[in-house]
Amino acid sequence: MDQVAVTAFFQTLVQGLLTGGLYALIGTGLSLIFGVMRVINFAHGDFLAIGMFITLLLFKTFNIDPYLSLLVAAPLGFGLGYFIQRFVLSRLGDRLSEGSMLATLGLGLIISNSLLLGFGAQPQSINVPYAINTFKFAGVQVSVSLLIAGLGTVLAISALNLVLYRTELGRAIRATAQNPLGAELQGVKTSNIQAIVFGVGVSFAAIAGVLLMPLLYTFPTVGENYVTKAFIVTVLGGLGNLPGAIAGGLVLGVIESLGAFYVSNNYRDAYGLIAFLLVLLLRPEGLFGKTVKRV
Amino acid sequence: MRTLTRKTALFTLALTLAATAGAQDTIKVGAITSVTGRFAEFGKMQLAGFKVGVAEVNKKGGVLGKKLELVIEDNASDVNKGLAAAERLVNAGVPLVLNEYSSSLVKAQAQYLARQKVPNLVITSSGDDITKPGSDYIFRLNQPASAYARVILDLFKANKFKSMAIIAGTGAFEKSVADAANSIAKEYGITVMEDQRYDKGLTDFRPVLNRIKAKNPDGILMVSYAEDSVALMRQAREVGVKPRLFAGGAAGFALPSFVKDSGAAAENVVTATAWIPQLRYAGTQKLNVDLKKALGGEDPSYHAAQAYAGVLTAAAAINKAGSTDREKVKAALGTVNIQTAFGPIQFKDYDGFQNQNPLEMVAQQVQNGAFVPVYPKSVVPRALTFERK
Repeated sequence: MDQVAVTAFFQTLVQGLLTGGLYALIGTGLSLIFGVMRVINFAHGDFLAIGMFITLLLFKTFNIDPYLSLLVAAPLGFGLGYFIQRFVLSRLGDRLSEGSMLATLGLGLIISNSLLLGFGAQPQSINVPYAINTFKFAGVQVSVSLLIAGLGTVLAISALNLVLYRTELGRAIRATAQNPLGAELQGVKTSNIQAIVFGVGVSFAAIAGVLLMPLLYTFPTVGENYVTKAFIVTVLGGLGNLPGAIAGGLVLGVIESLGAFYVSNNYRDAYGLIAFLLVLLLRPEGLFGKTVKRV
Repeated sequence: MRTLTRKTALFTLALTLAATAGAQDTIKVGAITSVTGRFAEFGKMQLAGFKVGVAEVNKKGGVLGKKLELVIEDNASDVNKGLAAAERLVNAGVPLVLNEYSSSLVKAQAQYLARQKVPNLVITSSGDDITKPGSDYIFRLNQPASAYARVILDLFKANKFKSMAIIAGTGAFEKSVADAANSIAKEYGITVMEDQRYDKGLTDFRPVLNRIKAKNPDGILMVSYAEDSVALMRQAREVGVKPRLFAGGAAGFALPSFVKDSGAAAENVVTATAWIPQLRYAGTQKLNVDLKKALGGEDPSYHAAQAYAGVLTAAAAINKAGSTDREKVKAALGTVNIQTAFGPIQFKDYDGFQNQNPLEMVAQQVQNGAFVPVYPKSVVPRALTFERK
């Protein structure tokens, strides 16, 4: 391969990894919620849209830098998630396993239509001075905003790992995920833990939304574009498996980028879906899922 | 309960009377546009154009001695709701429908209206297949999609471009322009090195742009809807692809918000457009001022001017027909020949098109953060700035 082709390969690879990192961040939130509560959160994409619109609003009205709006969006997302689990989802009880699915679907509709009412349907974007700044390393050119998004993803996921494996709260979360009744008997207030977990999941979606805003555009139903990706990511990695979600995100980002670069962009979504089908057929527990069945 | 029913009946009667009284004073013409939904940005422009057009017609005596009134139905940027809107207008008995905006929607609406034998005047939608093959009942005053491709390819040819790449969406409009660009490129001897299409919702254009960068074409033609134009240009800068010219096929690239939202990324981008205030038709300047006022100070895009021209054309046709009979209006539309601030309007059959207004397109370029005209000669063009020699 000549020099140009090598550089092009690495550029595509790096961009695929960074895009995949964002998929991973979205997928992690979804996977975490499923892992602890067995709830498939259909409103996940809409929580991401909330993050984007908070950024848009703060930028357009107060000219606040999109990255600073993380300070607003992340806690707000957490609070919203906590509230929803505590006062909506936990009240559904265990009678219907479909109940939570329908409830999140409904919540998603409420969110996207409220955004529609408040902001209108037209796509909107923000123009920051560094939107097209790039960073060049060994011939590979990468957008600064995309790099920040990648770093943000690494930070958020590392922080989550730290909490899960190094703190008492993390132990309680893991205990709740493994066996809610057992955890409750050991003195863990599982209803509180579940609300915290839902809060963290929503917060991750909102953070991803903020990180995407300097790169892309938003509209009230923008979440649909990402929620499909998030489902592919979590299935690739194994539902409820956090390291799996990260790997799944990166794999999806790279497959899409390399496929579009070397084969054709026309079938771009197909590459991810083919990988998704193959995993479902050959390793239904996910690429990184454990084969052991749950009790 | 009984009193309530009686009250309702009275109220309904009062409403009917009011409506009939209204009908005696005005002539109602139907219009479908995207007031809400993802094309609302274009809908806003068109509503402003309708407003200015109706005001002008009524100031000049209205139609058939009565005031003109537009019955505007929202298609909510959705094909099914668009058909429902068309049905409401058919049932309302309007003599003519102004038909708008996205080609994917308008084609369905136009075919439905034609089947119901309601003449409809397409004012912004440009998919070739709306008037090629057309119908006796479908008229279009704006340029078809192939004209969007031709003006850009003319520029490429005039500057001796040997190669180009195409990135286009899969919607009706995008497909029309991209397909036309392919055949015109063949005609002009320009090699199309890449022709990549993408489905709606794609947000990562980097792999495609990397691919194009590796081939280094002279020109890149991008045909997208509003939301993608900013992302496309940002990512093109990010990837570092450098053709001699970036060109957009109107739509999102021609909106004032494209320049505002993309900032420096938009510099030197050329776009096809149907109308600009610098055109030298009588009244163009005044129209620009009126539209700007109707938009609350915002700069109008060509969609507003087309909506304005649509109202004038509808009024001219009804006046010429001397009646609101649909068949007579249809016949009159075929003979309309008027000069508007949008351009001359006359419907002709040519190149396989039926009832199509043959109008020249304009090309403009973003220079120092603002659109300036660069083509054709009649707009007193500025010199093109190239990305590279």
